[in-house]
Amino acid sequence: STQVQKGLEKLTAAEVERKVAEVVQYFLVKDQKKVPVRRAELVKNVVKEYRNVYPEIIKRTARTLDQVFGLKLVEIDSKNHMYILVNNLEPADGASPINSPTSPKMGLLFVILSVVFMKGGVVRENLIWNTLKKLRVDPGEKHEEFGDVKRLVTDEFVRQRYLEYARIPHTEPIEHEFRWGQRADAEVSKAKILEFLGQLFEQEPQSWSQQYKEAHSSQASSSSQR
Amino acid sequence: GKEKAGQLFSEGTAFDPAAFTEHLLSFMGINRLEEGDEEQQNGSTFGGYLPQDAWHRLSRRAECCFRTAPSFHYMMGSFHAEPPPPKQRIE
Amino acid sequence: MSRQMGDSHRRFLQTMMANGIIDEQGAKALYQHCCEVHSTQCAADRLDDFIEVINSKLQPMFMQIRKGMSEVTGYQHYALVNMAETDITRMSSDYADNELELFRKTMDLIVGSENGTASSTDILNSTDSMTTKKLKKSETEHLLSRFVQDNWLSEKRGEYTLSTRCIIEMEQYIRKMYPDQVKVCYICHNVAFQCQICEKPTCGIKIHNPCVARYFKGRPDPHCPACEEFWPHEIPEIRRPRSQSRR
Ligand SMILES: [Zn+2]
Ligand SMILES: [Zn+2]
Repeated sequence: STQVQKGLEKLTAAEVERKVAEVVQYFLVKDQKKVPVRRAELVKNVVKEYRNVYPEIIKRTARTLDQVFGLKLVEIDSKNHMYILVNNLEPADGASPINSPTSPKMGLLFVILSVVFMKGGVVRENLIWNTLKKLRVDPGEKHEEFGDVKRLVTDEFVRQRYLEYARIPHTEPIEHEFRWGQRADAEVSKAKILEFLGQLFEQEPQSWSQQYKEAHSSQASSSSQR
Repeated sequence: GKEKAGQLFSEGTAFDPAAFTEHLLSFMGINRLEEGDEEQQNGSTFGGYLPQDAWHRLSRRAECCFRTAPSFHYMMGSFHAEPPPPKQRIE
Repeated sequence: MSRQMGDSHRRFLQTMMANGIIDEQGAKALYQHCCEVHSTQCAADRLDDFIEVINSKLQPMFMQIRKGMSEVTGYQHYALVNMAETDITRMSSDYADNELELFRKTMDLIVGSENGTASSTDILNSTDSMTTKKLKKSETEHLLSRFVQDNWLSEKRGEYTLSTRCIIEMEQYIRKMYPDQVKVCYICHNVAFQCQICEKPTCGIKIHNPCVARYFKGRPDPHCPACEEFWPHEIPEIRRPRSQSRR
């Protein structure tokens, strides 16, 4: 827009680049906890007096994150303007010589996301709790690996936008249902879940025809910010 | 619980979460108790214990389903640089 | 002349982000793997040039892949480090303020020690003088194991040392903050925590254990390179790199 153009004219190239580098650093730090970054906090904490050229700053930030780090800046909520970082590189086919650490939480999350997906995209919480109990993960007890499981699943995973945990109206006692969150939509491949499930069940992924269709027709990622 | 109508698909295999957990337990390396006739309820694993790395094993396999960004961790610059308190002189 | 980054560089950088530090052998193998995955040509001895391309792009964010030696094995390592301290870098959320205070106190003890170690007892006692929210004994023990797991500290028989990753990232900070206490290796000129010291009081030079092994190799009659007094300490063996095995 002309307003942004005018704003840019008043700044040196070095000043703009400096500001972009700061925004990149900000996204990297905030990504440690996987909590989405809101545009409002970004402007307040980092962009500050450069807010009139915000669109240009965010555009270049996305480009730097992509070109230097192979990361994609994704706006998961275009109304509230919230961003997350997602990997733009495909997992490599061959095994890496380096054994990078994995978090056991990913396995837990995988189980929940799989059940929700395979059951049509929304599931009452009891099904999830019962499933986890069979895996020796009881939301009522402290787990050796996961600690407070209920908090991890209904708070941490929800704040990170991996899951949505919503009240079902008119339920007494109060019941909730689980859905995939926007981060899961951007990060998780339904096709790959089906592939793994196929191996576990020793079935063809196509045998779950409805889910297979969904996994291979929907372009899962939400639009990326450019 | 009551299944939502949309979950009963007219074609394709139904997904059974109980079977899912059985397969997962095997994948995660569950040690089933060997003492003869452990009463199996609904064919489900009763007893037995998961090895310590069970969830790591599952995470490693499930990783390829995720395109999670690696995050940047560091120590330098995470706190205010302050000179240390003067060392006590030993007389 | 700075080349452009390709996916092979990005994959290498992402692996550095996930691991923090890798040894030289691993880095060479990773370099080849990244080039193979992205069908890029890679000359075996061009790892440092490859990393230089990445570093040129990381510089505006004050990040760097830096090389350093392990004080224990003598092997070279590459670590991805942060180099600036700003409002933004201080938002790092891996550790709470009081946990970072304990880390600084542990560093104080290690840097000020003669042998580059701090006992768990001394670290636990240092919580008495904390200015931020005091840590309980059990919390401190748990925190120390987190520091080890995150590869900031190493532990052996209740004694804590700075990890190779920590030394590579914090070297400049330590030189600046502990100018009177910091020891420097006479042979390689890097900071030295676990080292041997010349016994002559007017000399007192320090040499890393692996640097001792290399410098005095094959010399049956070792003498201090600075003052020529007899070097009384045991000369360690040079560690052979382990044979590379693919997973
Ligand atoms: Zn040395
Ligand atoms: Zn000497």
